[in-house]
Amino acid sequence: MIDKLKEISKDQLLAEVKKYADSKAKFVTGSCNDLGDKLEVTYYFNASPGMDMSALRFVVGKGEEVPSMTGIYLTAVLIENEMKELFGLKVKDLAIDFGGHMMLAQDSPVLPMLKSEDQKAAAQKGGK
Amino acid sequence: MAPRTITPFGPQHPVLPEPIQLKLTLEDEKVVDVLPAIGYGHRGIEKACELNEYPKNIYLCERICGICSAIHGMTYCDVVEKLWPLEIPPRAKYLRTIWAEMSRTHSHLLWLGLAVDALGFESMFMQYWRIREKVLDILEMTAGHRVTQSVAVVGGLRRDIDDDQKKHCIEVLKDVRKEAEALNNVLVNDYTVKARTVGKGVLSYDQAIALGCCGPHLRASGVKEDCRQLGYWAYGDLSFEPITAPGGDTYSRVAVRCGELLQAIDLQLEAFAKMPEGDIAAKPKGSPPANEAATRIEQPRGELFYYAKGNGTRNLERLRVRTPTYANIPSLLVMLPGCEMADVAIIVLSIDPCISCTER
Repeated sequence: MIDKLKEISKDQLLAEVKKYADSKAKFVTGSCNDLGDKLEVTYYFNASPGMDMSALRFVVGKGEEVPSMTGIYLTAVLIENEMKELFGLKVKDLAIDFGGHMMLAQDSPVLPMLKSEDQKAAAQKGGK
Repeated sequence: MAPRTITPFGPQHPVLPEPIQLKLTLEDEKVVDVLPAIGYGHRGIEKACELNEYPKNIYLCERICGICSAIHGMTYCDVVEKLWPLEIPPRAKYLRTIWAEMSRTHSHLLWLGLAVDALGFESMFMQYWRIREKVLDILEMTAGHRVTQSVAVVGGLRRDIDDDQKKHCIEVLKDVRKEAEALNNVLVNDYTVKARTVGKGVLSYDQAIALGCCGPHLRASGVKEDCRQLGYWAYGDLSFEPITAPGGDTYSRVAVRCGELLQAIDLQLEAFAKMPEGDIAAKPKGSPPANEAATRIEQPRGELFYYAKGNGTRNLERLRVRTPTYANIPSLLVMLPGCEMADVAIIVLSIDPCISCTER
């Protein structure tokens, strides 16, 4: 369980992120989970000064566009590019767009963090 | 406006221990823009951790980084213990703290050696690395290996430190402290070091927060934040206060690491003195439940963040690792523009970049 997790919609993202920026909170990182036909995105923030962590979470369909928060927190540029190329999250208006090749080379596997059919079947059966 | 050229800095460069490329836009010798390019060391470890049973992931996570290998292993175990939840024995908390601080000691000695080498002080570089060998020797004696210590298991640790080892560690640490203090005094007071670092690569308090920086890099901008303040493992029992410096420049980052080097040794000595007797591991039963957890541990370079999601099987649904350099790279976009080309090397080095950590 993640403490202080707030579930939002992707349309609320920038307004919620702005509140963090206005309160001088630090952006920690994001994580993305493959839920099948959807992606779950979580962003973590740290109150500053202090070490109080909280998080924002939204779920989007694969192929749906989500706004980039790099206009508010430039430091999110790496994680948003990473989620774009490893999970296929369609991030709109990235401050720096590495075009799908920040981590991956031209001949790397495509969207390697998405679950394979074998992984999904193993999880359903209760083991590898 | 002077003509602009784009000069690649790295991925192979004498001051870079690991590959990262900075595309520097220069006007004569002045940097006006920078674009970092990573991806040379991406190994897909997060994906591999989904495919292995959860106890085997310890070995994978220990190989994310060769400098703070023990901390990666222990942090992975920490986040999996939070999934259950599972409480580790008090002695295990102290042992984790001791090995974490030992890692910080040799990591900071490594960085100080690299930094002075980049400034042209080859003799001092050798002195820092000579005393680092003593720390690596006690790591090898207690954990069994110089680089990949592999002491962590979910529930605690696989190795203990006996009384003879403890006595020897204390002697060595006191000796290292004395030598490190003498070297630090030369370093922070040297005219050339000051000329090359004071006012170089400045990052203000507000910029450090806005850019999500962490670790000594953040604290050198005057921000008093350190995950050890959370009191995890034995830190709550030890006298710990974050070390900060006000300047926000490369010199402040040197000074913070000099202070933290001595502080790490003091924390080990205090932990050895207070360490209780008892078990070193609690035994987990079954598989991690369908749950999720996040943890934050202070690595030598800053906040290490692990997120884990279990699905009730022996495999994790997801493991996410955010290392400190990942958080600190964006600050180069602010620190480098305006500086001279000759200062790029020491400014980049001043964030203590660990690229194998960053790319996982």
